[in-house]
Amino acid sequence: MTLLIDLFGYLSIVVHGLTIVAQSMALGGVLFLALLVHPLASQLGSAGESIGRTCARLAAWSAIALVVCELATVGLQSAVLVGTVDLSLGEVMGAHFAIAGMVKAAAAALIALTLFTLGQRAPVAPLLVLTAIELAAATLTTHAAARLDNRTPLLLVEGLHQFGAAIWIGGIPSFLLALGRIHNGQALRLVGTRFSRMSMVGVACILVSGITMWLLYVGDWQGFYGTAYGVMVGAKIAMFLMLLGLGAANFLLVEHLRTTPSAPITRLKRFAEIEIGIGVAIFFAAASLTSVPPAVDLTQDRVTWPEIIERNTPQWPRFASPDHDALALPALQAKLDADAAHRNAKPQIAFVPGSGDLPPRNAADIAWSEYNHHWSGLFVLAIGVLSLLNQAGLRWARHWPLLFLGLAGFLFLRSDPEVWPLGDIGFFASFRDVEVLQHRIFVALIAAFAIFEWRVRTGRETNPKAALVFPLLCAGGGILLLTHSHAIANVKDQLLIELTHTPLALTGIVAGCARWLELRLDHATNPVASRIAAWLWPVCFILVGLMLLGYREA
Amino acid sequence: MAMALLAGTLVPAAAMAHAILEQSQPSAGGSVPAGKVTLSFTYNSRVDRARSRLTLTRPDNTQTVLRISQTGAPNVIATSTELTAPGPYSVRWQVLAIDGHITRGDVHFTVTGQ
Repeated sequence: MTLLIDLFGYLSIVVHGLTIVAQSMALGGVLFLALLVHPLASQLGSAGESIGRTCARLAAWSAIALVVCELATVGLQSAVLVGTVDLSLGEVMGAHFAIAGMVKAAAAALIALTLFTLGQRAPVAPLLVLTAIELAAATLTTHAAARLDNRTPLLLVEGLHQFGAAIWIGGIPSFLLALGRIHNGQALRLVGTRFSRMSMVGVACILVSGITMWLLYVGDWQGFYGTAYGVMVGAKIAMFLMLLGLGAANFLLVEHLRTTPSAPITRLKRFAEIEIGIGVAIFFAAASLTSVPPAVDLTQDRVTWPEIIERNTPQWPRFASPDHDALALPALQAKLDADAAHRNAKPQIAFVPGSGDLPPRNAADIAWSEYNHHWSGLFVLAIGVLSLLNQAGLRWARHWPLLFLGLAGFLFLRSDPEVWPLGDIGFFASFRDVEVLQHRIFVALIAAFAIFEWRVRTGRETNPKAALVFPLLCAGGGILLLTHSHAIANVKDQLLIELTHTPLALTGIVAGCARWLELRLDHATNPVASRIAAWLWPVCFILVGLMLLGYREA
Repeated sequence: MAMALLAGTLVPAAAMAHAILEQSQPSAGGSVPAGKVTLSFTYNSRVDRARSRLTLTRPDNTQTVLRISQTGAPNVIATSTELTAPGPYSVRWQVLAIDGHITRGDVHFTVTGQ
């Protein structure tokens, strides 16, 4: 059960991220139907009918996904409580989170049922009532519900924040579906203008609620840069600004349609596609935020600005590894073995994976980790340079994905020195450790990616959609990294590590978006945007390599 | 992708924290005289007392689940118990915050002779 709680900590963030995505798409779809498709139906003609049908189906399936995610959340939390507090399932289901979760699931199920049976002709009023119930229940599982002070205003702004995310980001998939079904400039302008207005309402809601939450949850600048909560808020703001930039470009294009109805709209569609990706990343960052305490609650052990500067001042990378036996765990195990031999007793195990305790660390462990980061940085820098050269026309440089294979092997050997093959803990026993489990998954994904992308680059994989796997995994990796690690009650060193990894995650997301645009934009009608995208992602790789080379833990 | 994934591979992961312990009685590393002791844990958020747990570990490694008082401030869990044997004790707390997050931790303290 201890292991379940550890796994639960990470799993709950992933499931919560998926829940926010599903909720925003379901509610965004309903709002798109109610505020755009229904009012414009008579002006859109047969296209309106087709848009309504498709968007209703998308919202309905999103609502089903929301039901599944919500039941999974309640199920996971209930399993942990039943297993650790000796409560019956009935007693657990009386908890606030369980009641709110079941209300959310029921409202989502009703939305799905209504849309599946009545489609785009579903009456708007009941759907909006269900949307309001969904949002109200969702706010009861946010930080605001557990606050001691300012509970009511915080609940209101949390609701406003989620509404803003739904009407804007959650509506983008429906907008994209609509764009695919409209074939004249006049209708495009109508839909584009209406969705721009809905987006502006969403942006306004997010700004008002975001600023209020910043004041009440973050409080001051040191809370912003000196706590895990503040750093994640910073990541959300950075991605919000990216979305605003893309949204502004789309707004200008829609306005251009007013004077030139025949203007090509490929860029509008492609930007909308990457807006969905960035939106998903924001939702996972939001899920991460729910697992850390608000900055205002952490008044001690905050990281100071001079500490950030000191830690990030460049130093020559570490290319020599400390001896494995000098690491804290092998050293402790050797001592325990020696003590046991002295007493003729069975030696005690220095560290049991999944026990819930963190393994000991010493200076050699820090050097070991820095060495891993620095060599990985060299690998990634080489990958970035080669992909840039490949972009410039150097043909043999197209084999750059194979370097990732070497990197995967390096990480498999070195990332968890306490486990097989370098350590005493066996291969299968090591999977009880959540950290090792995550690392193994990441290594497997890197190796699979290396082989896959190499096949794409060398023409062995001919399906054009295969090339899209790279940007998807790149952005997906960035999103996973956002959810990977958080400070334990704000231990400074953990936060300083997070401060360096959040930019890595954001750069990964930007690289994925850039490569997606390079592949998906029409080069003939968008030569500049395509060219920028093509050069941007290798530059992102180089930046990541440099960030890793500058990484320090002490 | 892989650059982000590899960073995930390199970072030491940590436990998540939400309801954080702001104050405890006895304090972590503190000491109390043997006898009837009130144990009290104050958090940064409202907690669901009925669905939280305190487990006491005694110097002889025996464990007892302590009955949590159902009254008091919404962010505090407390109990009283007899601690007669001097030595090192610890309390493992696990709380369910009202927003549904489960967190846990340990507070170590010493009971001294009267």
